[in-house]
Amino acid sequence: MMHGTIRSVSCVWVVWVCLFFCSSVTMVGAAPICANAQGGCHVLSLANLFDRVIQHSARTHGISNNLHTEFEQYFMPSKNHIGRVSRNCHTSSILTPNGKDNAQRMAREELTEVILKLLVAWRDPLWHFHQSMAHHHDFNNFSSNKALEMSNMVHELHKGVEKVAEKMQVLGIISNTVSSLVSPEALLASDSSEWRPMRDYDLLYCFRRDSNKVQNYLKILKCRIIPEHGC
Amino acid sequence: MAALSSNLLLLLLMSSLDWLSTPGNGFFMARHDVTSPAPPEPHITECISRDQATFQCWWSPGNFHNLSSPGALRLFYINSLASEWKECPKYVHPNRECFFDNNHTSIWIPYCMQLRGQNNVTYYNEEDCFRVENIVRPDPPVSLNWTLLNISPSGLNYDVMVNWEAPPSADVKTGWMRIEYEIQYRAGNTTKWDALEMQRQTQQTIFGLHVGKEYEVHIRCRMRSFVRFGEFSDPIFIQVISSKGSTFPLTLVLVFGITGVLILVMLIVSSQQRRLMMILLPPVPAPKIKGIDPELLKWHTIIHRRGPDKFQLENKGKLDDLNFSSTGGGLGGPPTYATDFYQDELWVEFIEVDAEDAGTGEKEDNQGSDTQRLLDVPQPISHHMNIGFSNAVSFPDSDSGRASCYDPDVPDQDTLMATLLPGQPEDGEVKTSPAPERLLIRTQTAGPQTWFNTDFYAQVSNVMPTGGVVLSPGQQLRIQESTSGTEEEPQQGKEHKGSEDSEEEKEKEEQFQLLVVDPEGGRQAAESNTPQMFAPPSSPIPGEGYQTILPQPAETEPAATAEDGQSPYILPDSPQSQVFARVADYTVVQELNSQHSLLLNPPPRQSPPACRPQHPLKALPSMPVGYITPDLLGSLSP
Repeated sequence: MMHGTIRSVSCVWVVWVCLFFCSSVTMVGAAPICANAQGGCHVLSLANLFDRVIQHSARTHGISNNLHTEFEQYFMPSKNHIGRVSRNCHTSSILTPNGKDNAQRMAREELTEVILKLLVAWRDPLWHFHQSMAHHHDFNNFSSNKALEMSNMVHELHKGVEKVAEKMQVLGIISNTVSSLVSPEALLASDSSEWRPMRDYDLLYCFRRDSNKVQNYLKILKCRIIPEHGC
Repeated sequence: MAALSSNLLLLLLMSSLDWLSTPGNGFFMARHDVTSPAPPEPHITECISRDQATFQCWWSPGNFHNLSSPGALRLFYINSLASEWKECPKYVHPNRECFFDNNHTSIWIPYCMQLRGQNNVTYYNEEDCFRVENIVRPDPPVSLNWTLLNISPSGLNYDVMVNWEAPPSADVKTGWMRIEYEIQYRAGNTTKWDALEMQRQTQQTIFGLHVGKEYEVHIRCRMRSFVRFGEFSDPIFIQVISSKGSTFPLTLVLVFGITGVLILVMLIVSSQQRRLMMILLPPVPAPKIKGIDPELLKWHTIIHRRGPDKFQLENKGKLDDLNFSSTGGGLGGPPTYATDFYQDELWVEFIEVDAEDAGTGEKEDNQGSDTQRLLDVPQPISHHMNIGFSNAVSFPDSDSGRASCYDPDVPDQDTLMATLLPGQPEDGEVKTSPAPERLLIRTQTAGPQTWFNTDFYAQVSNVMPTGGVVLSPGQQLRIQESTSGTEEEPQQGKEHKGSEDSEEEKEKEEQFQLLVVDPEGGRQAAESNTPQMFAPPSSPIPGEGYQTILPQPAETEPAATAEDGQSPYILPDSPQSQVFARVADYTVVQELNSQHSLLLNPPPRQSPPACRPQHPLKALPSMPVGYITPDLLGSLSP
């Protein structure tokens, strides 16, 4: 009798493990199934994930725009755009498509990688930017909070894009060449001390551009992969 | 040459004007906070990208009209990819425009523009640098149309769904441009546009439009999370006409209905105004003390003769608190009450005159003081004259107060008998009357309604030796005594009788008044031994009112003789025809006649002295109105 129960329990356990692995294997291409159906979790579809990420990037870009405008009002930097033309942001080393054609011609994996690189490259500079703003008494709390929010949002955005990339890889949309690990270029860009001497205004100037790039690339990616919803 | 140059100048002017009117003027200026006027030198006016893949730039020669010709100015640009200034890839000279196509457009990198004239003169503004994503202004959406969603149950409002399409130049399919839209609408006659929320979809619902109004709708768009809008699209017009004209009759019906109801209400109010007023504002009823028996209100005045010249008046009534003066007038009872009290039936039931005391001979001495004493009630005097008044007061039913010319105060005993002056004659009569005689004088009103302008009190105008008192009420009475009454007078001497009054009335109108007359015409002399004096209720003779007559000593004898059985009463013949008129209360004693009677109207000299005392009075000229003061008394005493 005891043997019977143990055997039945072990059988159930084996079956359950098999089902678990099988479900994970068959997840590719199938409709997403939540592991704990009774737990109330809900699986996000790729379209939903994309929408969330794009919304997030739009918000990030909006905040960076506001901060940049504020800086322009308060500090009235020199309009030496020519000088700025020659000057590079610290993310200039990352090759990004500069036009619609270029962006459309770029492969999905590359595009995803570019996005990730950009986001990684901006994590530390934004954090330090927030720190310097907090110490500066010239800025009010509102601007300081915006900087903090911006820094957090970039962080979350990076995680979100990573999840999207994972999902896409899982779904087979993109190949597994996109690694979740930070690429050496991004690391180099973030570790480089190029951004250190950047002044706050230039930093915002650069970040505003890069956040727009991220937003744009994500939208292109999404409309290329899932063109049905809102493209 | 001059003509050519002038033509060129004209052309330039016109083109510059045309160009100045192009949209986008001041783009670069608008970019910065400080809006400065257009600089005089050649400058870039605006650069716009429609699709974030190409862009255009326009320039202006400024005031340098010599550079306005095509080719005089050249545009150069530079960006971070280029190492040197490059010339515009494509000129559109009529518009002074430079077009940058896809190959020459890079996003997210700064561009800077430069104008160069001949001889490498450079007009460069540092502010003319931008990034293409920041100068994007999408084209207006296309295919704007609307559909009716629903109409409210009242038929006055409706909702529409407006839909459109993204501008074809904007590549939203690939997600290259993310556009948001703004709908603006206005009613046909207003100038202010109402803007709805930014919309990311290509459709929007407009709620709460009014039926019958025409609406104008247009739309524009911009890049998401950017600032600059593109141009507005061409407007479309929305109008929904109410079917069946349902709203029109409804409002008409409402208006007419309300008007009709209002008119009806007004008619009702106006027709039933009085009733409504009675209901809403009921009149305050006058207090009626219905429980009071008029009998209880009767009171009488007692004249106590304390001496030949002294009289004391006393009011006695059945109701002890005949404080009408204090209550009626003072306690805030309706003033009409008190006045009515005095105006209505004034019944003098009896006047008791006690001829106890033999008047002393010093009439003169006492005349002045007698009046005082007469007026002074509390002094007890031996001679007792009782005059009983029965004042039957009938309280009026109506609320309206009758105007009373009289003081609603208590009939002052003093004033009541104010003119009652004991004259000389008390001696004889008084003395001769061992027993107190009582003169009963009854005055009776002709009727409550006719008792108009009647004094509350009656003046005793004369006292007969027998003790009879001649009363003269307030108003002139047209006394028409019977001759029998007049015959009695000589016996009574100077008393004033109704017959005398009748003689008086033959005399002059102003003759004074009145005697005690019984309007009923009943002779009560036969009833009792007590002489009765009747005061006629009304005095037809308009005149001055009372006249005081001093009873002369000679008259006392007739009064005494009246004891023999002749009642010194005078009966008027027809008091009914008397006219009531207002008479003065007092009069001035003019003189004394030979018989020591007061002549209030001094008679003409030709009148015989044997005339009855009334005669001189009748013969008196117009009687002055006044009081008989002790001074006059003193002067008049013989």
